[in-house]
Amino acid sequence: MNNANDNGERKVVNSLRDLPTAVQPPRDLWAGIEARIVAEARIAAADAGTRKRAGSNLSRLRWMAAAAVVAALAVGMWVGRSVLPTIRPTTSPGTGTTATLPNINNDGAAALQAAYIVDPKYRKQREALAKSLEAKLASLPPDSRAKVISSLATIHKSMQDLEAELGKDPSNALLQELLVNTYQDEMRVLTTVHEASDAGEGI
Amino acid sequence: MTQIEPDDTRVDWEGALVQRACKGDVRAFERLYREHVGRVYGLCLRMTRDPAMAEDCTQEAFINAWKALARFETRSSLATWLHRIAVNVALAKRRKASVVLESTSDDDGEVIESDWTLETPLEVNEIEAAIERLPEGARDVLVLHALYGYSHLETAEMLGVAEGTCKAQLHRARSLLRDKLGVEVR
Repeated sequence: MNNANDNGERKVVNSLRDLPTAVQPPRDLWAGIEARIVAEARIAAADAGTRKRAGSNLSRLRWMAAAAVVAALAVGMWVGRSVLPTIRPTTSPGTGTTATLPNINNDGAAALQAAYIVDPKYRKQREALAKSLEAKLASLPPDSRAKVISSLATIHKSMQDLEAELGKDPSNALLQELLVNTYQDEMRVLTTVHEASDAGEGI
Repeated sequence: MTQIEPDDTRVDWEGALVQRACKGDVRAFERLYREHVGRVYGLCLRMTRDPAMAEDCTQEAFINAWKALARFETRSSLATWLHRIAVNVALAKRRKASVVLESTSDDDGEVIESDWTLETPLEVNEIEAAIERLPEGARDVLVLHALYGYSHLETAEMLGVAEGTCKAQLHRARSLLRDKLGVEVR
């Protein structure tokens, strides 16, 4: 506390209460205090701005998510409407109707990027089932045969529509999923036909 | 004609500055700083015994005060409020500096209420040097109670110790000062 009386005066006191309580710091501390106050005010203002922007971004994301859900529903409804009413089975001289499997669209597959469709094992199995499809259908009762052909026609129309849409919007996850599901449906129908035909049953 | 006491005027003036500072007026806060820095720095210096650390503590105390100014109740003394902040900062700095804290005891020492009068007048520098050499706990209590005039309770609250500990430390400080200065402190 030597700077309590830096003037060199040899001050004498009678009580501790007479000791000076105020001691001026050797340098002005205000500049440092002011710099910190101003800096912290700026940080606080920036934080407030960031929080406001974050809130705004969150709100925008919520709106975008809601819009995406609405869009997905709209696409689903559009796909449903455009597929279901267009069942056009083709007539064949032998069976009255025929069903041929469309080739897997390589563009659609590329856009799909799903291992399921480009998987060689799957393609081989599908080709084998397709090859024997006519014969298997011939062995089925007429009503079962008509049902299968109608189902396959619906499935194939769905595939075409979905692949066409995926050509326009290759990264659309909903369309990709719908296309995979459609191929799975086709495989289920083909397998069911073969199993029923082998067992001599109807569908 | 009503005469306004100087202290009242100062408090009013201070209150106005506090209100302005609360609204973000840095210049008003600077005026408060200029008014109180001496006593705050003096307290920090006595508690830390290190001019550089005392400067840090003083700056930190005023920055903390600026941040908490909205919570300051203008009814109470700004000086006391600033001292409380300064004591907290100084204690925290000392802890951070790994200064070994001496053990404190809740045992009541022989407490004699006094005005801290010296048996023989002594030079300020000599007394200050003796105070500086006191152990931390005793020194803190002595500075706040004997020099700054805070009560045992206020001193104990500021330092975060029991009132009994505060009294015991004062008793100890008195004994040590007597030994160092060679005079009775009544």
